[in-house]
Amino acid sequence: MLNIIFGDMENAVYHPPTYFDNQYEDEWITDPLSVEMIKDIDKSDVIGAHLIESPVLGSISIKEISGGVKTLILMAFDESGRIFNASACGDNCAKWIAEISKRKDLTINLHHVMDFSAVPDFYAKLLNTGTVVHSYEEYLNEALRIKER
Amino acid sequence: MKGKYHIVVQNNRLRYELDIRRNITIIRGDSATGKTTLLRLLEQADALGEGSGVDVVCERPCRTLGGADWRIVLPSLHEQILFIDEENKFLKSQEFAEAVKNSSNYFVIVTREDLPNLPYSVDEIYGIHTSGKYHDLKRTYNELYRIYSAESISKKQIPEHIIVEDSNAGYEFFKSVCDENNIRCSSAGGKSNIKTVLGETDKETVLVVADGAAFGSEMNEIYQLMCHKPNIKCYLPESFEWLLLKSGLIDGKTVQDILSHSEDFIESQEYFSWERFFTALLTEYTKASYLKYSKSKLNKAYLQEKNKQAILDAMEGIVWRTLPPLVKSCRPLSNPPSI
Repeated sequence: MLNIIFGDMENAVYHPPTYFDNQYEDEWITDPLSVEMIKDIDKSDVIGAHLIESPVLGSISIKEISGGVKTLILMAFDESGRIFNASACGDNCAKWIAEISKRKDLTINLHHVMDFSAVPDFYAKLLNTGTVVHSYEEYLNEALRIKER
Repeated sequence: MKGKYHIVVQNNRLRYELDIRRNITIIRGDSATGKTTLLRLLEQADALGEGSGVDVVCERPCRTLGGADWRIVLPSLHEQILFIDEENKFLKSQEFAEAVKNSSNYFVIVTREDLPNLPYSVDEIYGIHTSGKYHDLKRTYNELYRIYSAESISKKQIPEHIIVEDSNAGYEFFKSVCDENNIRCSSAGGKSNIKTVLGETDKETVLVVADGAAFGSEMNEIYQLMCHKPNIKCYLPESFEWLLLKSGLIDGKTVQDILSHSEDFIESQEYFSWERFFTALLTEYTKASYLKYSKSKLNKAYLQEKNKQAILDAMEGIVWRTLPPLVKSCRPLSNPPSI
């Protein structure tokens, strides 16, 4: 289940890429889900826990993967109880947020109205109002009524 | 600062080219397009100069701004192009907006947040895309593209309802035109209310008329609505005053020259957004004529048939007719200089 909170909140990490650089675990990187997300978003291959092969940058460290993928990996694997700002993710990450929320209860923080239109059967709870939305259309209409960003 | 600046940032593997022409430029878009890498290159070049291995070519100094000491550093910077990454939470603060307003610098901000405190243009919201390899086939060439291009949100449609951002002179003008042609017209009473007014519409064909020069903060949400509801369209000239100036009613040549490359005339420290410049320009050029302009109340001279038609003709892409169907087509962005 995906829970979304718009606006400032306690216990949220505003810039997840920085948190990732200081807290990631090697096993997160080689997990099949991370490998697939890095391939899809960054077009890069995971060579090992310490090395990524990028078609643009060549061989790079884990800290050089995109901020969007770093945030997705935190959403999937971090167990600190922190909530991550999904506004660090582009719309090309939306389907992966939905995918992670199918595997675990996931709460994300948003400071803009993210475009989930590419996610089939989108389903989420907007915690600002407690409303459960069953489609992107319902999400958009409800999100635009919420003042917090 | 005024003017348009071409910026090249490159190292052995990457080359970025950007044109910056207003005080506020926003870069957003998908993850992994190179936004953070661009800022990292600029930061390295600023810290280490030529020894960084990064070339930055621009008429003005380019550097990054960020961290807790931004408010100490910013007052010492003048006539520079400052790049700010999304990690800086101060971007959404009123304090930062005030600092931008009083600054002689241009700001290039990487963020997906709407930043309603900053009056940035829909024309200055960009993404980065890779357009191929550079000459040596080793370096990847990246450039900016406008996220909200005219073509991406334009389809011909006849409006049944026009929603005007303005509640003053602009609204009076469109209300008069709509009344003559049996079109419903309402004022949103400000740009942030447009979403609410749109939410109250049903399936009627709606045209939103707003000041594109400061409408950037609304565009992500309005654009999603437009994609989802094809009955909603936008017409976004720089401002209503820009439209009056463009109509040719006022001193043709000088004004048209200013409009054709406004960035060379608009001092960023004096005008927080371009709409304020166009209001000042129109007020100045009409103060001694029968077209004397007041933003608070429309001078009825603008509703005289010949003048009104000149203004409507200036709305590129919208064909107004005296007999129905009134509107044959609409293009949402009236001033796309180069898409």
